[in-house]
Amino acid sequence: MTAITPLEFIHKKGIFGDHQKKNESDLLRISEVKNSTIIQLVQHKTSKININDIKIEGLEISTKSSTVKSNKETRILWNAPRTWLIISNKENIIKIIEKNCKEIDFAITDISHSRAVIQIKGDQAREVLKKGSPINFNEFEVNKCVGTIFHGINLVIDLISDDPDTFNLLVLRSFGESFYHHITDAALEFGYVGV
Amino acid sequence: MLEIKCPYCGKRSQNEFSYGGDANIKRPELGKEISDSEWDNFVYFRKNPRGKHSELWHHVAGCRQWFKVSRDTSTHEIFKTSKLNEEL
Repeated sequence: MTAITPLEFIHKKGIFGDHQKKNESDLLRISEVKNSTIIQLVQHKTSKININDIKIEGLEISTKSSTVKSNKETRILWNAPRTWLIISNKENIIKIIEKNCKEIDFAITDISHSRAVIQIKGDQAREVLKKGSPINFNEFEVNKCVGTIFHGINLVIDLISDDPDTFNLLVLRSFGESFYHHITDAALEFGYVGV
Repeated sequence: MLEIKCPYCGKRSQNEFSYGGDANIKRPELGKEISDSEWDNFVYFRKNPRGKHSELWHHVAGCRQWFKVSRDTSTHEIFKTSKLNEEL
């Protein structure tokens, strides 16, 4: 059975907004991130294990707020104290996590199907996000993530690259359609390519 | 707009937070016999001071943690924030 992605019937491909007399390669690119596994990892309050002793796919689990540890396939986002989001393209990531994080110390929950993930890429990506979020994007660096709001919608923002700026935006699946329209509306003045 | 320093995430906009009431209220001990008026005081009655006030806030759009805030209710100046298990 093929899973229906949250924006399968919403996301439109093509060129939109103020794109006349502009190079297509200079326009913003908006796409839906599909087929990633998203795991929520929570360390129990009773757990005495030292989190610095655990590695997943060779990545440390950071206890510093708003930080991301990443390699080519996997990103570990600090989400809250003793709580992390692990986003990976590896098919067997759950088994890898379960092997490293014992049930007695951690709650491991697959939330892949409860999130819509939009990627916005381009030099004006920060300007689009500034329209709806109170975060200071001028000081936002690669491998930093924040939980915040965009026009009242809770989301997690993860900056995966700054050449050009590439943000992954995670929202609850039920907010996906509304959030998609907010982002694409905000991107119209710059012109964008739906990929 | 206020900027509130979450003890876990750092300074963030007030939009991300939710007010959670007076931080000085203590629940009566479990199993202890208390009068109706004491129960009323715990459940319903709150001071409404003009000036410095200890409050609970929830970083609802961020790390989802509760914490304490010392704030002036007339000027909105925030003096200090702390985790729940720390002294304000």
